Amino acid sequence: MPVKFYLLLVVFFFVLQTVSAQNKYNLSGTIRDANTGETLIGATVKLSGKTNLATSTNNYGYYALTQPEGEYTVVVSYAGYVSVVKTIKLNKDLKLNEELKTANDLSEVTVSATNRKNENVKTAQMGLERIDMKSLNSIPVLLGEKDILKTIQLLPGVKSGGEGNTGFYVRGGAADQNLIILDEAVVYNSSHLLGFFSTFNADAIKDVSLYKGGMPAQYGGRLSSVLDVKMDDGNNKEFKFQGGIGLIASRIKAEGPIVKDKGSFMVSFRRTYIDLFLRASPDSSVNGSTLNFYDINAKANYKIDDRNTIYLSGYFGKDNIGVKDLFENNWGNVTTTLRLNHIFSDKLFSNTSLIYNNYNYTVRLLNDVTNFKATSLVRDFNLKQDFQYFSNKHILRFGLNATHHRISPIDITTSQESQVNSLTQEKRYGLESAVYVADEWAATEKLNFLYGLRVAAFSLLGPGNFSTYDAAGNINSTEAVESGKFYKNYLNLEPRFSVSYLFNDENSVKASYNRNTQNIHILTNATSSSPTDQYVLSSNNIKPEIADQVALGYFKNIQENNYELSAEVYYKWLQNQIDYKNAAQLLANSNVESELIYGSGRAYGLELFFKKKFGKLNGWLGYTLSKTERKFAQLNNGNYFPARQDRTHDVSLVGIYNMNRRWTFSSSFIYSTGNAVTFPAGKYSIGGQTAYYYTERNAGRMPYNMRLDVSATLEPRKRGKYESSWNFGIYNVLARKNPYSIEFKTDPTNATKTIAEQTSLFGLIPSVTWNFKF
Amino acid sequence: MKKLLIYFSFLSLMFSSCKKIISIDTDNAPPQIVIEGKITDKLAVQQIKISKTINYDAALNFPAVSGATVKVSDNRGNNYIFAETAPGIYTNRMRGASGVTYNLDVTAEGKNYTASSRMPNNVKLDSIGIVLNSFFGNDRKTAVAYLVDPIKETNFYHFDLFVNDYLSQRFYASNDRLTNGNPLQIQLFFKSNNNNNDSDELNTGDKVKIEMECVDSNVFDYWFALSEQSNRGPNQGTTPANPTSNISNNALGYFSAHTFQSLNLTVR
Repeated sequence: MPVKFYLLLVVFFFVLQTVSAQNKYNLSGTIRDANTGETLIGATVKLSGKTNLATSTNNYGYYALTQPEGEYTVVVSYAGYVSVVKTIKLNKDLKLNEELKTANDLSEVTVSATNRKNENVKTAQMGLERIDMKSLNSIPVLLGEKDILKTIQLLPGVKSGGEGNTGFYVRGGAADQNLIILDEAVVYNSSHLLGFFSTFNADAIKDVSLYKGGMPAQYGGRLSSVLDVKMDDGNNKEFKFQGGIGLIASRIKAEGPIVKDKGSFMVSFRRTYIDLFLRASPDSSVNGSTLNFYDINAKANYKIDDRNTIYLSGYFGKDNIGVKDLFENNWGNVTTTLRLNHIFSDKLFSNTSLIYNNYNYTVRLLNDVTNFKATSLVRDFNLKQDFQYFSNKHILRFGLNATHHRISPIDITTSQESQVNSLTQEKRYGLESAVYVADEWAATEKLNFLYGLRVAAFSLLGPGNFSTYDAAGNINSTEAVESGKFYKNYLNLEPRFSVSYLFNDENSVKASYNRNTQNIHILTNATSSSPTDQYVLSSNNIKPEIADQVALGYFKNIQENNYELSAEVYYKWLQNQIDYKNAAQLLANSNVESELIYGSGRAYGLELFFKKKFGKLNGWLGYTLSKTERKFAQLNNGNYFPARQDRTHDVSLVGIYNMNRRWTFSSSFIYSTGNAVTFPAGKYSIGGQTAYYYTERNAGRMPYNMRLDVSATLEPRKRGKYESSWNFGIYNVLARKNPYSIEFKTDPTNATKTIAEQTSLFGLIPSVTWNFKF
Repeated sequence: MKKLLIYFSFLSLMFSSCKKIISIDTDNAPPQIVIEGKITDKLAVQQIKISKTINYDAALNFPAVSGATVKVSDNRGNNYIFAETAPGIYTNRMRGASGVTYNLDVTAEGKNYTASSRMPNNVKLDSIGIVLNSFFGNDRKTAVAYLVDPIKETNFYHFDLFVNDYLSQRFYASNDRLTNGNPLQIQLFFKSNNNNNDSDELNTGDKVKIEMECVDSNVFDYWFALSEQSNRGPNQGTTPANPTSNISNNALGYFSAHTFQSLNLTVR
């Protein structure tokens, strides 16, 4: 009942506003970069005249505005570009496509200092962070490999999975509760080399948005966050090449027009060569080892006519690790997205996407006659239909989404001689579907709403044998389900609501509530992401995970949006969280669901963010005070205990100093409380050895983390079309030994004593990268 | 797990990881009772040991719990009284049999603890040997147990490895979940107590002894949980917790009725 009411409310407000529109005309178009023809996401289009109204372009550079008949001044602006000012007479529906020139010469007066000026204050959207790809290039990172996943970890509310790790936790959620999408395709494993690098090659990335809360209704499927990554479309004016040579990896990217001004392509390739160092070893068993990864990003688009544009993009990446005559292990993601943008009318924008993505791994043993090979696959087909309807004070988004999952947990094949038997764990099939409607409504000059509803359905499909288990994990009953049959269905309603109230142009308060659900879960009891992480769907045993989040924030801009200041508090309730029984065997276990236990969680915190956006010196300071806890009847006597990623304080400070045209210096500093861990509360003798006695779960703390990284970028004078730059970096300048793990062992000097030994991964690591462009 | 070790040795090639001794803040719990009871299929002095936990940083001197009443009964109507023959050590000379369920009943310091365990069928430990493993060009000798896993039943094994009469500081537990019905070669990597990797190597002339126990499913879980946690500290892998005991009333430890075999060799 409340749901129907809610839906009606959405429709009511919308209709109310559209009906009253009379004698109004439409202005719409696409905003592009004049040099490359790339569409500009989030460019501001502002109309001033009888009434004032501003909007920003959508993910495809498209915008639409409705205003009463009259004369208007249109200003189109985007950060770092020269603004375009035009006068128009709005007496019929108008099309206005603009191409903005980049501001190479800083003396230009009309350069827009900011896109989405005061957007952070004005819109109802909360918990959204956008990564500026330009500053990304100068932020220091491990081994000079610029990385969006490591950069977002410097934002408040986002916690790192560990030193040098690309895994992240948002507002107390788990690592598998982040929806990571690349051109709308889910990237299941976003890390390379056990998490030290991410699958996103920054060269090929156009735009990155991270939603920590207040998730708009068009996104769903994960509890904690949405990381929406969009690839470059490619230059549709001229052919361009760029690349770089770094300490461990090299990159090359080519782009150019397919048909000038109508279509373009982009191909980018990155490969590491750590194994080249290994190959240099005189030792035959070392030089026969492999350790590398590569990424290929490719995209093409073609504008069929003014109303239709087609996009095809793909990602292909692979990691290879192997030791000669011992084993080899490879894993990787494949994503393909085919999209059609169609403009039904100036007001109705449609995008249809057909998406394929998979994640797979293979492990092979080479050391004997066993021919041991284990493979695993997660594969999705996804159809998405999104509409945007632009009305006077509303942007209405609605659409539907259907994803078919197939999970092959593990296939093991071996020879007769092997100790291990061949085994095929039953495949699991699931259908996730959703419909959503959301309205972005500028109700008054001061009041903005972003509200909507997502209806998320999940069905576990046959064929398969589905078991239920007793508390001890023994099978109670098993049901054989035929192919195509819906075995278990879940329906969840996810209301999303955000509101902002503007005191004035530069001050606002916002509040939001949203519910998210999740039907695909990772089973892992390791800290860092492992290539053999297992995916399971919601089932008769596993219920959909549910998160409810409320957030309240104060936003302030100072000095023409040069400084941004925000404070957000949030509280999150988590249901149907997953943990494991003692001695759980997760891998290659057909009854893996018997090893799981279910509980709840809560997370709350305060996030402070201060950002200086422009000038010679820019950067930000972030601070998070937070707590995240879990509760399972079977653990910790049924009491709340801190999740491993619970850290009380997190501080990050990023500074970028543009000294002159040639030199840019930057540094980042992080401090965080140590992870919550379980320390022994005693020891005892068992089986002739010493075992540790544990009481409260995760009641101990690792030592704190602190690190300072610096980098310098040198851009020699341009020679014709040819540009190059050098990046020098030092990771962990203070050479601080940050804790990676602690091991309890017997004191070597006194066999009756126990000592705690801390392992640290990285000392001071210098790096150098050379980049070019022509 | 072995694979991960190899990854990390790769990474440590790239980045010199470093270790240091730190002091940590941890509250010690009041002493808890620990019961370790074994019934084997050999006619021998069977032992049930009762002791207590000590502070995590205390010297390894575990207090014995004396004056307890310790009884074992089986589902064939036999009762065995275990008498304290040394402080905290309760014994009875008897022989267990496969297929029989044994029940333990301990009353110590005013509390009662019970447990039961069914002795599984014996699986013959055919032989033991030494295999050579090559890690980055270094050949390492590793002790191995050879046996043929019976296809018709679910089997659980627990091993103890001794090198020159010194007990390896690792827990070895395996089951036949992925290896049912096959000839097995179970490698037992030696770990000495002095944290020095070199001394973990087997050398010519070393006397190796492998003891094999066929245990029931609960006892396997117990050993497996310990093996998952041993030598790995917090922030890595499974969050450590006390292994699930088959003894009631929150006692630590286990009660295991198992078959027992032992073989020796000298490394050549």
